Amino acid sequence: MRSTDMVAIQGFGYLGQALSSAEIFAVLFGGAMRYGIDRFVLSPGHYVISLYAAAAETGLLDPAELESYGHDGSVLEAIGSERTPLGDLVCGSLGQGLSGAVGFALAAQLAGEDRDTFAFLSDGEMQEGQVWEAAMFAGYRRLDRLIVVIDANNSQVDGPVTSVTTIEPLAEKWRSFGWHVSEVDGHDVEALWQAFAAGRGGGAPLVVIARTEILGRLNAIPPTVDGHFIKIDSELKAAILKELGAALA
Amino acid sequence: MREPPYQTVLKPYGAALVDVARQRPEIICLGADLTRQTETDLFRDTIPDRFINIGMAEANMLSIAGGLARAGHTVFVNTFGVFSTRRCFDQIAMSVAYPNLNVKIVGFMPGLSSPGGPSHQAIEDVALMRALPNVTVVEPADAIETTQVVAATAQHPGPVYLRLKRGEIPLIFDDDHRLDLGKAQILVGGGTADVCIVASGMMIPAALAAARTLAEHGVLATVVNVPVIKPFDAATVTAAARHCRLVISAENHTVVGGLGSAVAEAMAEAGVAAPLRRIGIADTFAEAGSREYLFAKYGLNTQSIVDAVWRGLAINRPVPAAPIIETSPGAYAPV
Repeated sequence: MRSTDMVAIQGFGYLGQALSSAEIFAVLFGGAMRYGIDRFVLSPGHYVISLYAAAAETGLLDPAELESYGHDGSVLEAIGSERTPLGDLVCGSLGQGLSGAVGFALAAQLAGEDRDTFAFLSDGEMQEGQVWEAAMFAGYRRLDRLIVVIDANNSQVDGPVTSVTTIEPLAEKWRSFGWHVSEVDGHDVEALWQAFAAGRGGGAPLVVIARTEILGRLNAIPPTVDGHFIKIDSELKAAILKELGAALA
Repeated sequence: MREPPYQTVLKPYGAALVDVARQRPEIICLGADLTRQTETDLFRDTIPDRFINIGMAEANMLSIAGGLARAGHTVFVNTFGVFSTRRCFDQIAMSVAYPNLNVKIVGFMPGLSSPGGPSHQAIEDVALMRALPNVTVVEPADAIETTQVVAATAQHPGPVYLRLKRGEIPLIFDDDHRLDLGKAQILVGGGTADVCIVASGMMIPAALAAARTLAEHGVLATVVNVPVIKPFDAATVTAAARHCRLVISAENHTVVGGLGSAVAEAMAEAGVAAPLRRIGIADTFAEAGSREYLFAKYGLNTQSIVDAVWRGLAINRPVPAAPIIETSPGAYAPV
């Protein structure tokens, strides 16, 4: 709901990403990750709207600051950057986040530190070869304190991922690179909790493939909108908030 | 300075990196399947727990280096210059340069020092790295500077691109020579002269030899060594250039975007009116061949500098023949 408010103020923004990843961020920032101890990498910076919303909900960010989302001069830029005041690494150029997370995991391993590294990735960026360079290396180095969650919402700029190329079978790909794989309904909070809790350690990193829908499961948003970068008016905002409110009630 | 033929030192970078890493536990050494070729076999064998071979995945290596640096490490990233700059420019820009991290990118086989042809000859790496904010670009000229630059680079906050010839490196400077990451150095002259030769890296022996040949034929030259191409010491270069009738830049790199461009920018902004002739690779890809052959064919040897001075000053006498620079032969294979 906070993301809807942020997008509504400017009339456009990355609301689709927020809706597809809301439950993932809720679980991560609701306790699956020890924020401030574990490290958090946000690879697709377009999802930073979810980070802002989760941070506001968990006291890491003043909710009043959300109003500045995407405004000139605001540090809450619409695409994450070095100015983003949250997370340990927030990328903007797709495909680089997992490598950065591998760097964090290696550093923690070298120092013998008790901390995990969480990396949020999107399915579209699996088309970048660097993701697989990093996946191969992490599997080989047995970085079992590295946890990846993929928002598999089948969405990229030009439309559904399946209309551009194929990244499937995702689970088999990651498994063959030496990872523990957990594939869940990414809108099912309980399933996400269990995925992050299970399958850890044993010399293999963990990837949670969260199957989601770009607009969440909202009926209020017409299926014809561009899910990657949504424009909304006050009428649509009201309808979205009403539906979200009813779902949370 | 020493006189040619120059003695050489084998793998001064590899030895210096181990020395500095022993003093600095935060240093990590990354490589991409070119361990012996980047002189990091010594590091691997003596400090194995801080040596990580990433494999043939340079983009991954640069972004991993960024993660390690965010966690507090100083990371030396080692591969050939072509692979570390061309292949992963966006990773350097976004994972290293923009966050201004302690990642030191060491690019070997500069310009036409590689016999491997265009795929292995880094002819535009300086231009690429010079264009990135926060990145310091350094190219030492001899073994004394190479040894010193490793410690200076480790100590310098932020990203550095270190452009290094590998293997046998000549000893040109005296032991008390000091490399300063903020300064260019006047090696010859410095006052009123006919020509000011501004050079870097492997072109320093040629610039010094050209100055000797020119002096023997009544032409007075100033020689400026620019080991730090960015930030560019415009004050030293323009002060020397201002007292000369002709300025020559000499680089083992394309004439687009490297040292010659930096000299041109500095001269124009300072209002130095002397004509500038840029010695370098003339906006072309080269070919496979020995260093001597390629430097002669693509106009990077001592004779090329003497010829450019003769034409630039419109001297009405036959062009003197420059001597071939001799270095002691060694056993180290250049590939």
